[in-house]
Amino acid sequence: MMFVSFIVLIGRVLIACAGGEESDADIEASTQAQEEIVYATAQDINDMNPHLYTGSMPAQGMIYESLVENTEEGIKPLLAESWEISDDGTVYTFHLREDVTFHDGEPFNAEAVKKNIEAVQANAETHAWIKLSTQIEDCRVVDEYTVELTLSEAYYPTLVELSMTRPYVFISPNDFIDGETKEGVSGFHGTGPYMLTDHKVDEYATFTAHDAYWGGEPAIETITSKVLPAGETTFLALQKGEVNFVFTDDRGVDTLDVEAIDQLVASGAYQLIRSDAMNTKMIVANSSQDESPVSERAVREAIWHAIDRETIAEEILDGSETVADTLFSSNIMYADVDLDVRSFDLEKATDILDEAGWLLEDGSNVRMKDGNTLTMTLYYDSHSSSQKTQAEFIQATLIEAGVQLEIVGEESTSIANRRSTGEYELLFNQTWGLAYDPQSTIAAFTSEASYLHTTSGIAEADTLYQKIEEVMVTTDEDMRQNLYGDILTIVHDEAVFIPISNGSLTVVAPAELEGVSFKQTQFELPFEHMSFK
Amino acid sequence: MGRYIVKRVVIAIPMLLIISFLTFLFINLAPLDPAEVVLKAQGVPTITDELMAQTKEELGMDRLFIVQYFNWLIASLQLDFGSSYVTGKPVWSLLGPAFLNTFKLTIVSSFFIIILSILLGVICALQEGRVMDKSIRGVSFFLTAIPSYWLASMMIWFVSVKLDLLPTNGMTSYQSYILPVTVIVISYAGIYFRNVRTSMISNLNEDYVLYGRACGLPEKTITIHILRNSLQVAMSIFGMAVPIILGSTVVIENVFAWPGLGSLTVRAILSRDFPIIQAYVLILAVAFIAFNTLSDIITAAMNPKIRNDL
Repeated sequence: MMFVSFIVLIGRVLIACAGGEESDADIEASTQAQEEIVYATAQDINDMNPHLYTGSMPAQGMIYESLVENTEEGIKPLLAESWEISDDGTVYTFHLREDVTFHDGEPFNAEAVKKNIEAVQANAETHAWIKLSTQIEDCRVVDEYTVELTLSEAYYPTLVELSMTRPYVFISPNDFIDGETKEGVSGFHGTGPYMLTDHKVDEYATFTAHDAYWGGEPAIETITSKVLPAGETTFLALQKGEVNFVFTDDRGVDTLDVEAIDQLVASGAYQLIRSDAMNTKMIVANSSQDESPVSERAVREAIWHAIDRETIAEEILDGSETVADTLFSSNIMYADVDLDVRSFDLEKATDILDEAGWLLEDGSNVRMKDGNTLTMTLYYDSHSSSQKTQAEFIQATLIEAGVQLEIVGEESTSIANRRSTGEYELLFNQTWGLAYDPQSTIAAFTSEASYLHTTSGIAEADTLYQKIEEVMVTTDEDMRQNLYGDILTIVHDEAVFIPISNGSLTVVAPAELEGVSFKQTQFELPFEHMSFK
Repeated sequence: MGRYIVKRVVIAIPMLLIISFLTFLFINLAPLDPAEVVLKAQGVPTITDELMAQTKEELGMDRLFIVQYFNWLIASLQLDFGSSYVTGKPVWSLLGPAFLNTFKLTIVSSFFIIILSILLGVICALQEGRVMDKSIRGVSFFLTAIPSYWLASMMIWFVSVKLDLLPTNGMTSYQSYILPVTVIVISYAGIYFRNVRTSMISNLNEDYVLYGRACGLPEKTITIHILRNSLQVAMSIFGMAVPIILGSTVVIENVFAWPGLGSLTVRAILSRDFPIIQAYVLILAVAFIAFNTLSDIITAAMNPKIRNDL
């Protein structure tokens, strides 16, 4: 696969050489009025069953809807007009909109909600990652447009998890097979602004505006998703105007490199829109590795100070990401906490190490303490070209501070395996991302499969876990804010998550397209708000 | 002759078995738990041990390796390659249409490669050593040396984007064939025309040509005889061209987003969709062995010496 990417890369370089300066006339994103969006994607939309995980999330986001929506201002109504939460936080009563129909004409009501939620719960093992699925005890129809959800205990992220792209979204009960969805569905009729009207596997899929959409018919009649290999092919198709839209896919991969995007924007036919920060790329330090220097807070702090984030963001990541100084960027709910910025400062790093007793002996460039050398291993994903470059760059800077870093590239599955067994000192990772943060990443602090080894070696580990437990069940907003503030302060001070950069979503759209915005998730785009001038 | 054919076919069977076993083995040697691969391919966010056990049982991965292999082999012989890890659809339902698309591209390209090779080969042989011969050989040498992906990108950029003549990708109409076929023909015709040229030249020096000329046969008749004899030699080489092109469309299909085996397999490799990868390797191996056997049989039919050697 590297081979193909390499080929595409070489192809671009050669074309750039051969084509030289391309005039704007080359790029014909059709000057005639555009009516539709045709977006390029490297993957087919796959099985669009909303209760499984194989489908393309941006496509599912057009077709299916959830009860509530996660926005920058917090949770807002969607298919549910309003809701009440019982005092003990275990019963949620939703009052549904009464003007909603599925794409097949079937009315959306409490019965449909109950059937869908039960279909999801019938496949509990697959949905174990989403904590809500382990908390739902019962879903009861109160009347035609009122439904009651009972949980085993209070769980504050309930509404956030109900708002996610999947699994708690609604498909017409007519599409169920034997009253279930886990073995497949017979159609893909949701309640969303677009209907899936045509799909040719591995070639294209067509979405048509749903004229009876409760939120009003979308301005753009057709959206087509076209399967194209990333890179050169997509770039040429955009130049010709056969495709007029690309965006960061749901696995965080960009179809075009920065240079290609610049060329398209410079032609005047396209515009580039970037979202706010969506996730944080970081280095995770294993505080529980007692025999390793990484278990010392001073060493972790020194590493933090010895990373030149500006250069990484600007040079290695071509400006496609921004510098991250904290585990979560401040636009994440509850994460706008006042924390000290540990800027790039080699002198500071060496002072911290000197103070901690890691000293440079004459003639050696690696620090020593009690006969141990300051050597650690950093694991990176061997399939990520940028991680490798970052690892080499960080290695080169750290040695200046007398810290020796060994760098090892491995398969992503093996990295995940190290994370859960604790067989690592430092490794690259990233947060779950907008809508999942902070709760999913923070819940992972206590999970063996995720960050338990990262956090369990710090002095205040018990306090930290106590607070995490409390924050998930408290129903008091101020208390939750305070608890999150404490949790984030503890891990920040202990420097176990060393932030590097914030990733965001990139959209390249026709210059005359208006209304391009982002949702509180990196997996969907609100196509229904877009229109051509 | 009948006995020779039977022998050749019988030899092909163990070869296929070995290839299929090795494919299965290599994929099972991957340092990953196949159940984990399946769940990852299905996009499950967090994989629990219970889920792993459940998946293993469902897919029969908890059985012995050799049992798994025989189950897979017996199913494969009935064209049942299992289900895609990613989509859950039967592999044949994905491979079938993709194979057909790749086959169309291969057949159209092979047809033009054969026509062009014969044409250029004959011209060069008749003009041997003159300017025409040298320039055709020089240009073809240059063209076959160009990496096909680069040639493809350049042609899309020039013909589709700059001149706005043809679609840049996909398989929508007969127009979609023009660019990918051109690239494949340019890459391969330059190789195969040399075979035609070489055998034409060697035939030109045969005694029967001299005899024919001495008898005063018209030059046209002699050329047709030479051509017929030369093509018999080239025939077996053309036979092998089909599977070679079939296997080498991967790069071309990716550049042109041609919905064929090549692009399907690249996507399968990216998402570790093992059943598709296994089926692809098997199909390609069958194609190679089948065409190889076929071209041997054709050669033997033309040359009794070979069939008596086996």
